[in-house]
Order: sequence, then structure tokens, then C-alpha cells
Amino acid sequence: MRRTLRIYRRSLGAHLRAVLEYEADFWILVVAGLLFQVLNLIFLSAVFSHVPALNGWSFPEAVLLAGTYGFVNGLGPLFFEGTWRLAGKINHGELDYPLIRPAPVLVQVVSAGIGMHGVGDLIGGGAMIGYGLANSDIAWSPARIGGALLLLAASATILLSLIVLGNAASFWVGGNHPVFAMTLIRTGDMAKYPLSIYGVAVRATFTVLVPYAFISFFPASWLLGKESAWIGLLTPLVAVYCVYLARLIFRQGLRRYDSAGH
Amino acid sequence: MRPYWGLLRMSTRRILTYRLNSLILWIGGATFLAGSLAVWHALLSQGEIGGYDWDQMKAYLLIGWATGAIGSAYGDWWMAGRILEGHVATDLTKPLDYQWARFSEHMGGLATEFIAITIAATAIVTFTGGLVVPGPAQALLFAASFLLVAPLKFAIAYITTMACFWTQNFMGVSWAKDAIVTLFSGALIPLALLPAWLAGPAAVLPFASITATPAALYLGQATGWEALRLLAVQAAWVLVLWWGARLVFRRALRALTVHGG
Repeated sequence: MRRTLRIYRRSLGAHLRAVLEYEADFWILVVAGLLFQVLNLIFLSAVFSHVPALNGWSFPEAVLLAGTYGFVNGLGPLFFEGTWRLAGKINHGELDYPLIRPAPVLVQVVSAGIGMHGVGDLIGGGAMIGYGLANSDIAWSPARIGGALLLLAASATILLSLIVLGNAASFWVGGNHPVFAMTLIRTGDMAKYPLSIYGVAVRATFTVLVPYAFISFFPASWLLGKESAWIGLLTPLVAVYCVYLARLIFRQGLRRYDSAGH
Repeated sequence: MRPYWGLLRMSTRRILTYRLNSLILWIGGATFLAGSLAVWHALLSQGEIGGYDWDQMKAYLLIGWATGAIGSAYGDWWMAGRILEGHVATDLTKPLDYQWARFSEHMGGLATEFIAITIAATAIVTFTGGLVVPGPAQALLFAASFLLVAPLKFAIAYITTMACFWTQNFMGVSWAKDAIVTLFSGALIPLALLPAWLAGPAAVLPFASITATPAALYLGQATGWEALRLLAVQAAWVLVLWWGARLVFRRALRALTVHGG
């Protein structure tokens, strides 16, 4: 386990050094990441200047929700960016290299890149969380702080698992681009808004089938003491399930890998 | 003319080769449209916002989505890849105008894009109970401006990809462009709902011609001379950006470095 972590850290570190060689690119990516969070904020503030609440969610609460989603989304590029290159690796037969190295394949795949736009997401999302928390009515206690941090970690785990799961679909879909993962993660953008605004079908899908709602909605509901807040406490369980599922599907996919046949 | 027509057909075929890929991407696009419809349905349940009621907003969101879909199948990524990987060197040796050649490829995506847009429109009419329909004059104006969206979006994407002659990383540039276009075109939220400090720049930038103009013509918010003025502004932007792109390209070629041979 310690060895695996070390390999992950070293690999990620190598890519970080490579990325930092191009200073202009670094800043362009950070600004691009930040711009998307600013767009979310502009949308919410424009809408809330015309309506007082969105299905019982006030402006600061909606900002907290969107901020949490943005923050968690920033962790993907920073720690799991290599996963997005899996489709290209399969397509070009480049998965041969990780397969013959003496380290877990998944770890090598996941750490094969780093996306600096995650920094912009973390800054933008973090600022929105800060604003949301400062302007919402929350009864703080040590238990609540610990719970909030635990739920945040669990929600990050869910999203990162979904990224692995979606990209592992490239073993079946084929093609050079991870279209399935792009669609899977992009659909999750709907979880930026309170789940209660959607119809029953979407709510059921987002809770049970693909647990987007556990990335931001249920944890935030628990923190803010919304209706059926207790569901938020299930987030760590959902996270464990997602990790299990992602590992399983990645392994199944890896068995199908047949290189490029030069 | 014939070589350009050939490029267009080749581009269509390339897109159709990866059918499953295209299909999954369009499903993703459809869920995005369904998501924004759901958000606005909830927002408008207590009454209209900024002059938009549910029926008008439905049409607005469809137009915003459709204008976003134009040019997405070919995409600036493909153009950028040719430059980043150095294939641009072979493209330059061909006896074709570089910009017209890329434009032809761009248009090759329109076939699939129009099919997707028609399906989306049909789905909205079926599942949400109809769509506001403009009168014949407005419909004609809308059709003209909708057709202008294709060259306009191409020119913007083309100029953006020129950044690849200077930077190695197109992802950040492309996303920054997407964010700016989404905001100032009116695809994020109707421009009338933006705060004044953003509505000001939106009014003078070319991006409003992408979504806000076709939508205003379709919904009858601009009629008569005002409608023709909007259309003229849109056409002017197409010309300015088309010729502007040629200037940028001339500068960019001087920065071109291709390694190996």
C-alpha cells in the first residue's frame, strides 16, 4: 500500500514538473477553470435577482451547493487526470507499457497526467463554499464540522470513482476519445442545482442508478438541515460502493484489452 | 470548388465512422438540454422572469442549444490537433486555400448536427406540449440568421485554434473561449437578465449574434427594421471575423515550428 502510494506520488510529481515547464499554459488553464466557476456564480446571481428562492433554497445555499460541486470537480483534474487519457492509450495500444511495469495498472493510468484547471475549480468552488457557509444559518458544533469534512471526502471519492468507471467504459466503446465518461460526468452537472427541482425519474436516477446527488445535494442538505437530511449520512456508504464498482469494471475491462496488433 | 466539396464529404464520413461515439455525445447533449429545461421549469413555476414565460423560455433554450450544437461535431479540437501535431505542414503544401479547406470540413458536420437538432425539437414538442411558432416573416428572418451562425461560429473557432501556433496546450484556450462564448452569446442566460456590467460588453461583442440574435428573431422580440439591423450586424461580424482570421493566419505562419521530417 505504501509502495503504491509512493509510485502514485512520484508519477504525479513527474507530470506536475512537466506541466509547470509551460508557464503560459499553466495560467491559461487556471483561468479557464476559474471562468467556469464564475459562470455558475453569474447564472445563480442573475436568476436570484429575479426570484427569492429556488425550491426552498436561498441564494447562499444554492451557491454553497454549486460551490461544493465545483470544488469536488477540481479534484479530478488534479489527482485523476491521467484517467481521461485511458481511451487514447487503449486506442493506440499504449496500455502495453503500464501492463509490463511492476506496479498496479490503475495507479499508473490514474497518475499519468495532471490538469491545472483543477486549481481554478478549487479556488472558485472554495470561494463559493466560503460565501455559502458564511451566509447560511448553520448550527456549528465539533460533530457538524467533522461530519461535513467526512461527507466532503466521501463525495470526492464518489466523483473520482465515477471518472474511473466512465473511462473504463472505453474498453468496450472504443474510439480515441472518452465519450462515455464525458457524457457521464457532464450529466452530473445537473447536480449543481437542488435535486428537488427535477422530476421523479431524474431524482430516482440520480440517487440510485448514478449517485450524482450524493456528490453535492445530499451532503449539503445534511449540513443545512433540509428535508430528509439524514440521507446525506449515507454518502460514505455510497462512496465505498462506487469504489468497489469502479475497481470491478476497470478490471473486467482490462481483461478485454488486446493491444493494437502492430 | 470540387476539392472543397470532397473535403466536406470526407469530414461527414469521418464523423459517421465513429457512430457509437457520436451517439453517446448527442445523448450527453440531450441530457444537458433536458437539465436546463428542468431548471428553468422550476424557476418559472412562480411566474415569468425578465419577460420570459415558460413557453418562450422553452423555445429560447432550444435555440441556445441548437446554436451551440452547430459546428460541435467537427469541432475546433480537430483543427487544433492538425497544428499541434505538425500535420499542418502537409495541409499547407496542398493547392487549396487553408481557411476555405477548414471551413469545408467544418460544414461536413452540419448534416449530423441538423438531424440532432430536429430530433431535439421534436422531443420538446412531444414531451413538453408544443412550442411557440413565429409568423412567416419572423420565421424567414430566423432561418437567415440561423444559417449565418455556422460561418460565424467557424470564424471564432478558427481564430481560437490559431493560438496553437504559439501555445502547446489547446485545452485551456478552448475552455476559456467556450466560457466566454457561453456567457456573452446568451446561451448561459438571456442577455436581458444579465447585470448591467456584463450586458454592456455583451451588446458590443460578436458573440450575441450566435444565440441572442436568432432567439430574438424567432420569439419576435425584434421586428421590422430592428430585425434587419440585427441581421446586418450578424452578417458584418461574419465578414469582419472571416477577414480578420486571414490576418491572424498570416502572422501565425511566421510562428510555425515543425520538428522532424
